[in-house]
Amino acid sequence: MKEGTMAEMHRLKIRVNGEDYELYVKPKTLLVEVIRDHLGLTGTKRGCNSGACGACTVILNGMAVKSCSVLALQADGAEVLTVEGLAKGSELHPLQKAFLDHGAYQCGFCTSGMLMSAKALLDENPSPTKEEIKEGIHGNLCRCTGYNSIVRAIAAVAEGKYEEAER
Amino acid sequence: MKYTVINTPLHNIDGVAKVTGRATYTFDVKLPGMLYGKILRSPYPHARILNIDTSKAERLIGVKAVVTGKDTLGIKQGIWRRYPELCDEEILAREKVRYIGEPVAAVAAVDEDTAEEALDLIEVEYEPLPAVFDPMEAIKEGAPQIHEGVERNINVTRHIEWGNVDEAFKEADYIREDWFKCSGQAHVCMETHCAVSSYTPDGKLTVWTSTQSPYYIQVLLAWALGLRENDVRVISRYVGGGFGSKFELDSAQFCSALLSMKLCRPVKIVLTREEEFTATKRRTPMYYYVRTGVKKDGTFVARETRVFTDGGAYTSMGATALYLTGFFHSFPYKWPNYRYDGYRVYTNTMPSSAMRGFGAPQAIFVSESQIDMIAEDLGIDPIEIRRRNAMTPDHEIPGQATIRSCGLVECLDKIDDWIKSRGELPPNRGIGVAAYGFMSGGIFNWFNTPYAFSAAMVKINIDGKVDLYIGAQDIGQGSNTTLAMICAEELGVRLEDVRVHTADTDIAPVDLGAWGSRETLMAGNAVKMAAADAKRQLLEFAAAKMGPNIVYDLDIKDRWVYIVARPERRISYFEVVKDAIRGRDGQPIIGRGHYTPHRKGMVSPAYSFGVQAVEVEVDPETGKIKLINAVTAHDCGQVINPLGVHGQLEGAIAMAAGYGFTEHLPMEEGKILNPNLVDYKILRAGDMPETEVFEVESYEPEGPFGAKEAGEGLTNPTAGALANAVAKAVGVRITELPITSEKVLKALKEKGEGKKAD
Amino acid sequence: MIKDFRYLRPQDLQEALGMLTEHAGEAKVICGGQSLLILMRQGLVAPEYLIDIKHLEELSYIRPNEDGLRIGATTTHRALEKSKELAERYPIIPEMEETLASIQTRNWGTIGGNLSHADPAGDPAPVLIALGAKVKLAKADGTREMALEDFFLDYFETALEEDELLVEISVPPVPARTGVAFEKFTIIGCDMGIVSATVRVTLDEGGRAAEARVVLGGAAPTPLRAKGAEEVLVGEDLREELLEEAGRKASEECEPISDIHASEGYRRELVRVLTKRMLRKAWQRAAQG
Repeated sequence: MKEGTMAEMHRLKIRVNGEDYELYVKPKTLLVEVIRDHLGLTGTKRGCNSGACGACTVILNGMAVKSCSVLALQADGAEVLTVEGLAKGSELHPLQKAFLDHGAYQCGFCTSGMLMSAKALLDENPSPTKEEIKEGIHGNLCRCTGYNSIVRAIAAVAEGKYEEAER
Repeated sequence: MKYTVINTPLHNIDGVAKVTGRATYTFDVKLPGMLYGKILRSPYPHARILNIDTSKAERLIGVKAVVTGKDTLGIKQGIWRRYPELCDEEILAREKVRYIGEPVAAVAAVDEDTAEEALDLIEVEYEPLPAVFDPMEAIKEGAPQIHEGVERNINVTRHIEWGNVDEAFKEADYIREDWFKCSGQAHVCMETHCAVSSYTPDGKLTVWTSTQSPYYIQVLLAWALGLRENDVRVISRYVGGGFGSKFELDSAQFCSALLSMKLCRPVKIVLTREEEFTATKRRTPMYYYVRTGVKKDGTFVARETRVFTDGGAYTSMGATALYLTGFFHSFPYKWPNYRYDGYRVYTNTMPSSAMRGFGAPQAIFVSESQIDMIAEDLGIDPIEIRRRNAMTPDHEIPGQATIRSCGLVECLDKIDDWIKSRGELPPNRGIGVAAYGFMSGGIFNWFNTPYAFSAAMVKINIDGKVDLYIGAQDIGQGSNTTLAMICAEELGVRLEDVRVHTADTDIAPVDLGAWGSRETLMAGNAVKMAAADAKRQLLEFAAAKMGPNIVYDLDIKDRWVYIVARPERRISYFEVVKDAIRGRDGQPIIGRGHYTPHRKGMVSPAYSFGVQAVEVEVDPETGKIKLINAVTAHDCGQVINPLGVHGQLEGAIAMAAGYGFTEHLPMEEGKILNPNLVDYKILRAGDMPETEVFEVESYEPEGPFGAKEAGEGLTNPTAGALANAVAKAVGVRITELPITSEKVLKALKEKGEGKKAD
Repeated sequence: MIKDFRYLRPQDLQEALGMLTEHAGEAKVICGGQSLLILMRQGLVAPEYLIDIKHLEELSYIRPNEDGLRIGATTTHRALEKSKELAERYPIIPEMEETLASIQTRNWGTIGGNLSHADPAGDPAPVLIALGAKVKLAKADGTREMALEDFFLDYFETALEEDELLVEISVPPVPARTGVAFEKFTIIGCDMGIVSATVRVTLDEGGRAAEARVVLGGAAPTPLRAKGAEEVLVGEDLREELLEEAGRKASEECEPISDIHASEGYRRELVRVLTKRMLRKAWQRAAQG
């Protein structure tokens, strides 16, 4: 920006986990910054600076996206789901239950992103093959688990082993 | 022995927090009044610092403080405290920088952007010095001297020997000598190094940080900053991965603490992914020379090995890696004669230190490769040659260690069966095998702690809920759950009755931390002892209440206190707890435990073993390797946390396979060329092979319920198995890691089997 | 660190082009931002204005018809991947999109953004060039068209002028007896390609090659038509020596670099092997109709 000028704040209206927010943000603000810093939803993590690790994955208008690679203002009017929006109170989402049963996490830092990619996958394709599950989480790096337990957990949900919670 | 808690697939006790996004990592910590810090790092691999002008940076609005080496006590710290000459790292350099990325200044500002802007305003005058990047160059006469007084840049040497190698070679029917090159590797924890330091006017420093050992960080920070050890509090409740990168004092911790002390305000520093790749530590690259002599039936006669390791700019944990590589290079076999000489050489590159396996993955890659080469030369089956020489229970390594439990032969049998079940493979496919043995924690007290290596406290409350205080660190490997399970099993309650308190040096007893695969055995023993102590106190009251015949014993299982010989006579654990607390004038029952290995040699109290078979498919026209199967038979004694062990195994395969063929840190003039997650390639979900595990049961007398390590040893065999699989698949032997497709194709062409360009 | 900028959100294409003219030289267009944001974070690009066209629905379309195919520039990779019409009529496009980056990137990144970024290792450009694609470039006062293969000038450099925007990709109809095949060589699955080869072959009634296109990715500063390899094929029957010769020619005429992932020599070898394999595959697909 030119010397002596400043970036204006722009209004951002966004629905996150079913709740509406109206914020004013600088244009360069990333969606992940709105989620973590403005809204305090720190379940979504950041693991890199180049959109490569997927730890920041959230669901935007039904699509899995890397929130570090989306300008917040592009999410104006959008609906976003983060990991905090999966459980209903103390009733865990089937994917969360499956992850617990299968030990599909270890340090847990990639887990939020994994769950969101998994949810987006199953919402679009309720009966994925194992290959499709692996493709579905291809954009999410994990250094701890070796992925196979995560694939098993998602497959178990796809096979209907967990009932959806009553809403 | 029927257990009610251990070896059952219980949920990880931190699970709900992690799957709901509630687990608060250091990355998430935010405090009132907190500032953000950034670190200025040297662009030169070797240079004198002539002057640092921070005035412009200090004047930038939003900048609250700038520190350089002049603001420190100039203490050269290091984790090998027992040997002051190996404590060579100031972290914030004062006179000289020794690698690209070494910190020279740090800034605290109101936000990250301002801090980053301030870095550009710090003017550093360097006098570049000649630099050296290869250990074989650095060791020559006349090479640039990296540390004053260290001749030929030889940082540490190690020698391990037994038998009479030179004589024994004369008895060998067949001798091979080979050279191997093992690369470095980056840890790639998903949570980068980070710290929030808060120094308060009462002279106390609290540091939230992502670490494998709050105790080490507490001691090292206190030392480097001139504080009283117990005026430093380190908190590390959730850690996004460690793998060996997070138990030394790092730049985020040191610089944030320094800035906070200057300002009396909290300062947070989070390393970027690029800093993570270029300015932390890495697996030690090693040059291996091995000469092995065998009888014509494959019986091992003698081995002599010489290793040069690329130490990078500082000692770090490199001395341990140097020793362990030489020690585990003899595993898991009975070598009658063995000699190892290791040399760790300084270079002007990012320091090399500890990474899961700690020198053993390198050692096993080399050893298992050469054993297959020998087997091939002599026409012996790869499993057979290993069986012939395998360690067995109660084997003595002369002057080094005694192996107690050892299920290696059963592991070999299981893998042999699996390989046979695969039948004839299609063309360009091969199965390679590698065996390993690994330690369950180290004995040598290089940190020079006066404390027991692990300690635990158990407190039983009126409602029967048990508070378990441990210093052991859960970095994702599940130690909180594993140790809670041991506590519950020993005490006779359920996992949900146990609440774990850890990761805070103000509360937790001392534990050396999560490295070297020590938690299950060492902390486990401490926990078992504490639980047994509490149980004994409960049983005093139970005996009084139940009045059994004096020859009968009481025990507790699944919340019932019962007479062992007459289990139908029992009373509720909860009732006994109430009696016991009443009987002790209202005090909760407290049990204490601790563990330090004694009379177990100087290496490790117990060893795990395993054999892995990796099946690959190689594209002979491109050299590309595809992982098909990875099957592991392993002996970790009694399995405590089965979900945890399985997870460790699969994670280890991903990490070790990466070491085998996709991961490396190429450098040019000391600069790492791929400091990002696109160019540094770790395995993704679609790259993993099918995995299968065979548990081999054994009982380790030194371990809690017979348990040993599981998780680090499992990173040892994969690179070797991969190399052997490629050799079986397409007949080429790659002796330099990583085994890239380009290397395979080049070898194929040289062998004349690859399609030549017209 | 991303530097501050002024954010402009045009209501339609005309307004966007007007803004681009007004701020020419100081503005960048952002669509999905999957490439741009990385450059901005690294400080390589720091525009005064960012013109956001992500939401311009008028530029998001997949329109196959008798004249061929038209794709709007803000169409996401995921839309291309999932398009039933493309799967029917131009299946090579979804096939290529399936292995591009990750689902998250494909959900938000766009074909126009990808082509404008001009990464020589990118997947879509060689495939679209093999299909004979043209691009429509628009300014406030008019549009022009050019062949996609002329659009790329150098590493990360296109023919776009400062006040110009890529708005549409058009692909001619596919002649009968045509087969297309694409493959990229990666170190790990679904990764950035080291090199790629796309081959399109159209056969005459006699089963000989009437037309051939061989387009290489990651083997030169821009996507490269390996014309030497193409010439070898025209008028010929499919036979092993032909495949070998075409592969060899392709490997000789490309200009790959050496980097930490692969040496120049290895890249050439990969080009040779991939060209040969994709030629075989495209020919088989053409023969099957």
